[in-house]
Amino acid sequence: MVQEKKRTASFLTKEFYLAIFLLAVLIFLWIFAKGFYTINNIMSILNTYSYTLIAAIGMNMIIITSNIDVSTGALVSVVCLASAAIGKLGLPFPVLLPAAMVMGIILSTINGLFITKTKIPAIVATLATTQIFQGVLPLTTEGSIYDLPATFTWLAFEAKLFGIVPASVLMCLIITVIALFFMKYSRFSKKLYAIGNNQHSARLAGINVEKTIVITYAIAGALFGVTAIIIATAGQRVTTTMGSGLEMTLIASVILGGTSTAGGSGKVIGTVIGALILCIVSPAINYLGISPNWSDAIKGAIIMISVVVGAFQQVKKKRVIQIPKEVLNNGK
Amino acid sequence: MANKKKFKVTFNMLLFLIWILIFIGIAATSPVFLSPSYLLNVMLRNIIEIGMVALPMTLIIIMGGIDLSVGNIMILAATLGGLAAVTYGSAVAVIVTILTGLVCGLINGLVIVKAKISPMVTTLATMYLYLGISRGISKGSSIYSFDFATTMGTTSLFGIPVQVWIYVLLVVIFTVLLAKTTLGRKLYSIGLNENATQYAGIDVGKIKIAMYIICGLICALASFIWLGRFTSIKFDAGTNFNMKVITIVVLGGTSINGGIGSMIGTIIGTLIIATLNSGLTVMNIPIDVQTIVHGSVLIVALIAYAVVNSRAKKKKLIKIEAAPKQVASM
Repeated sequence: MVQEKKRTASFLTKEFYLAIFLLAVLIFLWIFAKGFYTINNIMSILNTYSYTLIAAIGMNMIIITSNIDVSTGALVSVVCLASAAIGKLGLPFPVLLPAAMVMGIILSTINGLFITKTKIPAIVATLATTQIFQGVLPLTTEGSIYDLPATFTWLAFEAKLFGIVPASVLMCLIITVIALFFMKYSRFSKKLYAIGNNQHSARLAGINVEKTIVITYAIAGALFGVTAIIIATAGQRVTTTMGSGLEMTLIASVILGGTSTAGGSGKVIGTVIGALILCIVSPAINYLGISPNWSDAIKGAIIMISVVVGAFQQVKKKRVIQIPKEVLNNGK
Repeated sequence: MANKKKFKVTFNMLLFLIWILIFIGIAATSPVFLSPSYLLNVMLRNIIEIGMVALPMTLIIIMGGIDLSVGNIMILAATLGGLAAVTYGSAVAVIVTILTGLVCGLINGLVIVKAKISPMVTTLATMYLYLGISRGISKGSSIYSFDFATTMGTTSLFGIPVQVWIYVLLVVIFTVLLAKTTLGRKLYSIGLNENATQYAGIDVGKIKIAMYIICGLICALASFIWLGRFTSIKFDAGTNFNMKVITIVVLGGTSINGGIGSMIGTIIGTLIIATLNSGLTVMNIPIDVQTIVHGSVLIVALIAYAVVNSRAKKKKLIKIEAAPKQVASM
């Protein structure tokens, strides 16, 4: 409780610096990038941002428990394709969304069970399931499902708030607000942080670690499902590689948002800002007149700089074991 | 101690058995597979780059680290080398390629050691960075091979492709390095308990940086062969490469938490993947099914490893006691 008070007292948190950086970027773009703040561009960025953030919130929860999921891209692709197959029947969006969420939950729970039951490190386990998911995909369809009905693409083309704002933004907003409160006040979220900090002491404190991790993966899976349905419904054609590479963007957003991959720390608000920064990069350099080929390098540089700067702030606080020079020299 | 050796079923033996079974299974269904020229020129040649990079990756993972950027280092080195070859010729290109590998490895090592950022985060960031730089510099277009790379990728020596010779040489060097030298012992020690190793008077930071540099150099070496074999590459060619390398190392029984593993395991892992890749192609099985088979083999190996390992742990509980604690704090 004491630490919580300290945190609110000092507003100079990692998230605060990140927000300042974001603001600086936005002002910079306002001055130098002509046409960046047009309605169309903003709406297109918001749409990308919505599905990235929804999945990133799920990834954030997983990383807080000091696990990771590198199979997200393949998982999203599977859900995209499966929901397209259902969507072809002409089912409306209110049916498709829960269906996608359930599929996400099932696949992600497989990951969670695999990790907890076999005690295989999460990165290796999800690496294995990635290959299974990727392999299953092209078996079910020949490349892509196309000519999807208007009921399927309803979300992208017809569902707009006030005629302009995509409905995905509303979904993202609801999920983010729930996540913000859930990760701050719920008992479940405290368990996540406890497990991330020290799995063994969490178990001794009476937390059912395995069950909690599986539930975390399930919740994240539901969010991946929502992301998948937003990505899938963007057009009349769904291919087998809709989600490929997504996992790296998600992990990068989470890390940029200040969540440590060692687990036990990180806030939702950090991920919210981190994801926005990464989503702005590609359109921003486009409007700045830089070749789009440099977008990955700029993203990489941003992640690198923020991580290194964050690390040097942390190094001071950490209890680093200092070893005298003589000891080192004697060893040679 | 002598008694123990009698009934000890090691993971490597199991793995070797799996390989033999796969090999016989494929050879029985399609005899074409068994011809020496196919085995050498197709099966081995197609895996060399991945197998090569898996060797230093084993060292890094045993040390408790990981490098997700290897494929991108390789492509960046090939990109810069290929561009240098266009204007300055082959000799300069070779130097540029090797320097690129060295600098990329050095950056990884320095950030991990000096800024104390976890290897996964660091190499994830540099993965983006190297991918982005090679995309930006090549302007998204293909890079073409040059003389030296073509020689490395296509010629044969005594009827065996030159890259196989290089691979065998590297295998010998790395196996000896890990199993017979003090440096090898130090790597295990760092993987099991970094702080204790530091206290024992070993300069952990220096060894870590050296390992990432070696990894970068091997990536540069692999980039010659890759470029020579395909004659042209694009910036995104290395994306799946990272995961393939890690798959092989993990399949070989190296613990991702560090401290456990062997070079022999990695080599058998390489052979298993090579056999599966070319064997399934011979059997006309579509590439998608091959991915599933890869995944399944990895899962089977992981579970087998977990079983063997838990038995080993029970036998010498006191000795390995320190390892799980280190794992928990990661």
